[in-house]
Amino acid sequence: MLQKAQLRIQEMAFMIVAVVLFFVLVGLFILSIAYTGLSEEATRIAEDRTLSSIIVLADSPELNCIRKTNCVDGDKFINLIGKNAYLNFWPYSSLRLIKFSGFGKEKDEMLKCTKENYPDCDLIEVFDKGVSNERTVGSFVAFCRKDNKNDAVYDKCEIAKLIAGTKLKK
Amino acid sequence: MRMKKKGVALAFNWIFAILAGGFILFLAIYGAGKFIKTSERAIYTETAASLVGLTDPLETGFASGKAHEISFKKKSRLFFDCDESFRVLGRQRISFSEQTFGDKYGEQGEWITIKDKYIFVERELEAKKIYLFSKPFFMPYKISDLIMMVPASQNYCFHETPETIKESLEGLNLKNIIFKNQTNECEGIDVCFSNKVGCEIEVSESRGTVFKKEKGKKVHYVGDLLYGAIFSSPEIYECNVKRIKKRIDELTKIYLEKIDIIERQDCQSNVREKLQSVMGNLDSSSELINLHSLMKDVNSINRLSDCRLYDDRGFE
Repeated sequence: MLQKAQLRIQEMAFMIVAVVLFFVLVGLFILSIAYTGLSEEATRIAEDRTLSSIIVLADSPELNCIRKTNCVDGDKFINLIGKNAYLNFWPYSSLRLIKFSGFGKEKDEMLKCTKENYPDCDLIEVFDKGVSNERTVGSFVAFCRKDNKNDAVYDKCEIAKLIAGTKLKK
Repeated sequence: MRMKKKGVALAFNWIFAILAGGFILFLAIYGAGKFIKTSERAIYTETAASLVGLTDPLETGFASGKAHEISFKKKSRLFFDCDESFRVLGRQRISFSEQTFGDKYGEQGEWITIKDKYIFVERELEAKKIYLFSKPFFMPYKISDLIMMVPASQNYCFHETPETIKESLEGLNLKNIIFKNQTNECEGIDVCFSNKVGCEIEVSESRGTVFKKEKGKKVHYVGDLLYGAIFSSPEIYECNVKRIKKRIDELTKIYLEKIDIIERQDCQSNVREKLQSVMGNLDSSSELINLHSLMKDVNSINRLSDCRLYDDRGFE
């Protein structure tokens, strides 16, 4: 009789362990689904933010031109290189601009701009946080800078592509 | 004797089953409760993050102002804080929560950081619908857009409003800003531009101050910061003013370096010396008046320069 009771207790203990394990597994399954959705949602929000802000980025005070809309003032933009204050200011993982001279060139073929070689260069890279999983959004803008021809200063404008990256969460 | 033994075994089984079952049930209910709370917080955090994105279209570009409204399914609470000393340019944070059962609100979601915007708002805002409007801020070049956020259910009654301010706000068609005259009725927060007694918010245009009676605090403003001073809590206003000053300094550095770049093309700007003098921290909004007059000098020089450094279309 005692053995039978012990057996029943053992059976019940096994059953309880099985039931707890079952609940734990179900919980883990639900959590994994929920958090997959959460990281996708976070990526979607971050991408939306990049997309919505890049449209208006060219009109932000650090980039905008005098009396022109959707225009990047190259003479200001070049000075954003190496400015730590702006590294985490915008919600991007990278920010760069490809000048017209860089269109159709591979990234390693482009001549990176510095304050010294500007404006005779192709790519102005403001910052790149070097994230491995990045999606970029580009927007075509006017790119204007002061130029001098026959001792007359004028605004020289050309087309350029402003590119911002978003870090994907997964 | 046998009967007695059988009875004990059955009782033990039952007690064991009830205890174990109860424990499992407790775990399941506790887990479910925790899971619901976590999911709720996740949704609130996502909502706060989405709200930040919704302020992007308010960037004014060349416009003199923009407005739009956001409606929530349920009555919601928005929490704001501001930290001017966070990294170089400071930050604001937003958090969200909404009504669940009865008058109870869910647990506040995680804080979402905003670094590239200046939102002028009360520290806590409760509404089902909110109005947002933005105004560009120049000092003397464009510094940023100022975003004002107010609950749609809260009326603001403007008394003896100067024509320029009235025109500027009327163009945005905000339903809760009512310009009081002899014929219309208005119940809400009284905003007075004269020395009328009993107003919650007193604006002195000559001194450039806004006094909030309820909080007993006076803040100073220049230009369109007036709207920020009226519609936000004094703490958030002061913090945002300091953040704006830091942005002014960073922009000033960019303009100073621009002078070097354009000089290579024989484009001479005479503002360098004066522009260098505007750098430095701001202790409170009361120093805005001095900064404004300094910037006026910078602007006069820029206007006379052969090669203009910046666009001053919104600076007075």
